Amino acid sequence: MRVTLAALSATALVPVSAFAVDYMSVEQAARLMFPDADRFEARDITLDAAQMQTLAAHGVQARSQAWKAQIARRGAATLGVVVVDEVVGKFELITYAVGIGSDGAVKQVEILSYRESHGHEIRLPAWRKQFVGKTPASAMQVGEDIANISGATLSCKHVTDGVKRIVHVVDVARRSGALG
Amino acid sequence: MTSPAADGRAVRRARPLLGTLVEVGAVDGPGHAHDAAFAAIAEVQSQLSRFEAASDIAWFNTARAGECRVIGPHTRAVLAAARRLGDETHDLFDITLGTAPRQWRVEGDALVKLVDGITFDLGGIGKGYAVDRAIDALAAAGCRAGWVNAGGDLRAFGDIDVPVSLRDEHGGGVRPLAQLRDGAIATSRFGKGARSTLSAHGAPDAHVSVAAPLCLWADALTKLVAISGDTAHPALALHGAQAWLH
Repeated sequence: MRVTLAALSATALVPVSAFAVDYMSVEQAARLMFPDADRFEARDITLDAAQMQTLAAHGVQARSQAWKAQIARRGAATLGVVVVDEVVGKFELITYAVGIGSDGAVKQVEILSYRESHGHEIRLPAWRKQFVGKTPASAMQVGEDIANISGATLSCKHVTDGVKRIVHVVDVARRSGALG
Repeated sequence: MTSPAADGRAVRRARPLLGTLVEVGAVDGPGHAHDAAFAAIAEVQSQLSRFEAASDIAWFNTARAGECRVIGPHTRAVLAAARRLGDETHDLFDITLGTAPRQWRVEGDALVKLVDGITFDLGGIGKGYAVDRAIDALAAAGCRAGWVNAGGDLRAFGDIDVPVSLRDEHGGGVRPLAQLRDGAIATSRFGKGARSTLSAHGAPDAHVSVAAPLCLWADALTKLVAISGDTAHPALALHGAQAWLH
């Protein structure tokens, strides 16, 4: 074991820095979750008012009417669906993908990227907007920054809540035939 | 400094597990190494989580006095470690959180509850144990080096120095904390709202970090130092650990 501590007395004087880790792209996550698929079809899910009410009746805040899904196919068979979402925590923006099998059960959850802000700019649309539509170029490679955080009160509650939301969104979309 | 960032051979993945984000980094390993590490953590979680109804711990917390059940190997290992640290610290480290530290027993492969009302919370030791099992899985898969970080309980193995940062819980952002090679580090924050005698004594918001060869001990001993306020507690040396308040 070898531990080299930063000069802790000086730590408070070091300016804080932001960092980002890109773990994988949506395409890589989809292939990982459905290795048997021979293709993925992009599909926009748009929930109508009645479907939003159905979700609310299940205690789920749909948050958005428009969702983007990738449908995993093998020949004529549908293997499942991959939905990408992002959640904002105290200081972090987490993009994640949920793979749901044809039985409606969660198959896998993968974090696609983790972005830690300097501070309260996480609440600013402009800060978040800089990442919209950005495909991680360094996916499956280590990022420039390798900040392994220790001591963060980092809960994944907003991710697990998001996963539940996506399960319900996919369920109502499937019932309406939108994933056929 | 050898950094996995510099050589580009580390592959990182992350998943939500153990109530936090778990990151696995693997250097020169096969494609299935990450899956093996995540599966090891999921297996530990299935036995130890208070929130999984079928787990040994969920059973114990609702069982009546005198009831017993055959428990999984991970539960046995963590309970043995918890009892050992309880012995070494006169139950300052206590997974029953004061409900009744001595009123449970493991007989062979069965756990016996001795009184009603006692509950376990393995939040102070289980994550570190799970990290150790994931490290074993990476090594068994043939990785040259790697690390596992479960929400700040972190262990690295092999010939890499892993930079560790500390998050600023007030303003956001991170600051450098340490470089870690072939060992584990865990950090607990104590201050307003934290479970610690230090906060009860009016200590300002601060951290305790513990480094140890195994993540189980790094995790558990941060709680001991936070509770005792003693960075030279004799139990630290028994596990090859060092502690810092900062």
